[in-house]
Amino acid sequence: MKILSIGWINVRRALRDRTGLFFLVALPLMLVFIIGAAFGGAGSPVLGVVGDAGALRAESAMQVRDFSDEAALRTAVEHGEASAGLVRVAGQAPRLLVRPDRTGQQLRMLVTTVLTSEANRLAAGEFVASHTGLDAATALSVVDSVPVEPVEVRTTTAGEALFPEDFSGFDLGAASQLIVFTFLNSLTAAAALVETRSFGVTRRMLATPTPARVIIAGEALGRVAIALLQGLIVVVGSALLFGVRWGDPLGAAALLCAFALVSGGAGLLLGAVCRTQQQTAGAGILLGLGLAAFGGCMVPIEFFSPALRTVAFATPHGWANDGFAALTRRGGDILTVAPHLSVLLGFAAALFALGAWRLQRAVTA
Amino acid sequence: MTVLSCSGLRRRFGDVLAVDDVSFTITEGETYGLLGPNGAGKTTTISMITGVLSPDAGEVLVAGEPMSIHAIAAKRLVGYVPQELALYPDLTGRENLRFFASLYGAPKSRVDHVLDVVGLADRAGDLAREYSGGMKRRLNVAIGLLHEPRLLVLDEPTAGVDPQSRNQIMDNVRALAADGMAILYTTHYMEEAERLCDRVGVIDSGRLIAEGTRRELVERLGERDRISLLLDGDVTHAAAVLGSIRNVHGVAAHGQGLELVVDDARETLPQVLSAISADGVVVRSAEVTEPNLETVFLHLTGKALRE
Repeated sequence: MKILSIGWINVRRALRDRTGLFFLVALPLMLVFIIGAAFGGAGSPVLGVVGDAGALRAESAMQVRDFSDEAALRTAVEHGEASAGLVRVAGQAPRLLVRPDRTGQQLRMLVTTVLTSEANRLAAGEFVASHTGLDAATALSVVDSVPVEPVEVRTTTAGEALFPEDFSGFDLGAASQLIVFTFLNSLTAAAALVETRSFGVTRRMLATPTPARVIIAGEALGRVAIALLQGLIVVVGSALLFGVRWGDPLGAAALLCAFALVSGGAGLLLGAVCRTQQQTAGAGILLGLGLAAFGGCMVPIEFFSPALRTVAFATPHGWANDGFAALTRRGGDILTVAPHLSVLLGFAAALFALGAWRLQRAVTA
Repeated sequence: MTVLSCSGLRRRFGDVLAVDDVSFTITEGETYGLLGPNGAGKTTTISMITGVLSPDAGEVLVAGEPMSIHAIAAKRLVGYVPQELALYPDLTGRENLRFFASLYGAPKSRVDHVLDVVGLADRAGDLAREYSGGMKRRLNVAIGLLHEPRLLVLDEPTAGVDPQSRNQIMDNVRALAADGMAILYTTHYMEEAERLCDRVGVIDSGRLIAEGTRRELVERLGERDRISLLLDGDVTHAAAVLGSIRNVHGVAAHGQGLELVVDDARETLPQVLSAISADGVVVRSAEVTEPNLETVFLHLTGKALRE
């Protein structure tokens, strides 16, 4: 009961800190959104059009946005507001501007297909009109009345894609942000533990009929609860707001809990080692961002060199990242991530043991 | 009944012997002042008494229960009000009290009771950081009272507070002692010690160098009360008359003035005035000077208490 009281007071204090709440709730979800949008998000790509969009306007796989002149269209494509731009002026061949990314290339294919199809329809209409004497509009309606069954193309995927076909930018950013912020906020929240000691509250707790081990366990519980809360905010918030898929629920929950334990343990250790809040904040940011970078939260581990990949798997972030990738990109389940869970729990046990030892010394010395 | 018994307490930090063979007792309803200059070993002694620090040698018993870092029974009997404001500024007064009540195993009803005792009931829902310095001090005291301790340890509870809060804290301490609580009190304010403490111990360089009531300490140092009189009439004859009173140990004349060295000025003054009046001498003024703890402290440690 006393452990819960001490743990709860930590969570309560974290929730009362308005600046902390920004970092706990708003910033991670904002970054999921920004990264998701930067990597294509989950919405339809935009095609800018100068002139008549024709049949392109009916395509559900993209949004058509009209532009008054080519200069404005070029600017929009260059700035990424549109993934491609079509200039379609009577008497001239259509011209297409595309961004040098996957979405731009996809739009190029789609626009070419639609325009070719439209040209074929007109050609067929002219053919009908010239051979039957019908006027152009009637000839086109005859062409349109001919049922054309789509050709079924059987596709087999060969090799291994880095990301599944339906993997959105939001899916890509959410797991990284979960790992970054769960760990980072646990470390920066450790300042509260230093503060509690500097206020003399920890000594005062020790003067109550509460064993030192209960005080330490309560503080540890507080760290884990804050980390878990952070993780849940990213998981639930990103799922509800951006439709992020986290894969097998059991596996994702287990990974989240294991990484929250790692983060809580790291927070306990940092809070026990540091003597001032400034030390905690500085070391927390350095460790939080540094381990995130080495652990593949900034750039996917798959892009790392073999040596750097080895380094990545020396960090809990690397294992958590790979675990979430197994669930969200490779369709894994809790058994798939069992090795990841084992390693993360090992990290957590080591960090808690060290943190408890240091805090015991700091409190009872 | 003895509530606190310290015997042979010793504690060393590296090469520094912070507390050396400190022994004293406090009985039920007694207020004991532990006085000493900064760095004398007061807070280290208190830390061992409250079970926050282990002594290298010696023993602390609270109502017969041995105190240590791991003691549970003894800690239930001790209320601790540390020198620093040991509370969460980002929680309300009530939340702070509820939290510590849970650690002491005190019923929630005690929270409202102690808020009333320290006069914070109407501000209980405000964040502690919004309190004035005096209100924070009172909240600090309230936490120590949550579980109705047998021994209340107050480490400079009035440091830096306004006169109103100081008076309230002192009134609280007096009332608690009157209810039978044993109180260990350290302060930098000598007048507080004189007003509150039944006995004081003077600690310097880790050693308890003197202990007793104010009067015992004063007498031990050979200091006595003085009565200064300004008279109309035969001063020489008056001096002879007053010199024969039992508690008067010396009389010196200075013009129309007389200075008497006496045992207990307050008790002796009526006898002095009565004897002079009977002799037909008119007393134009009378002034009593009692050696105080400051004098004792200066004599014992060579320093003022606030140094």
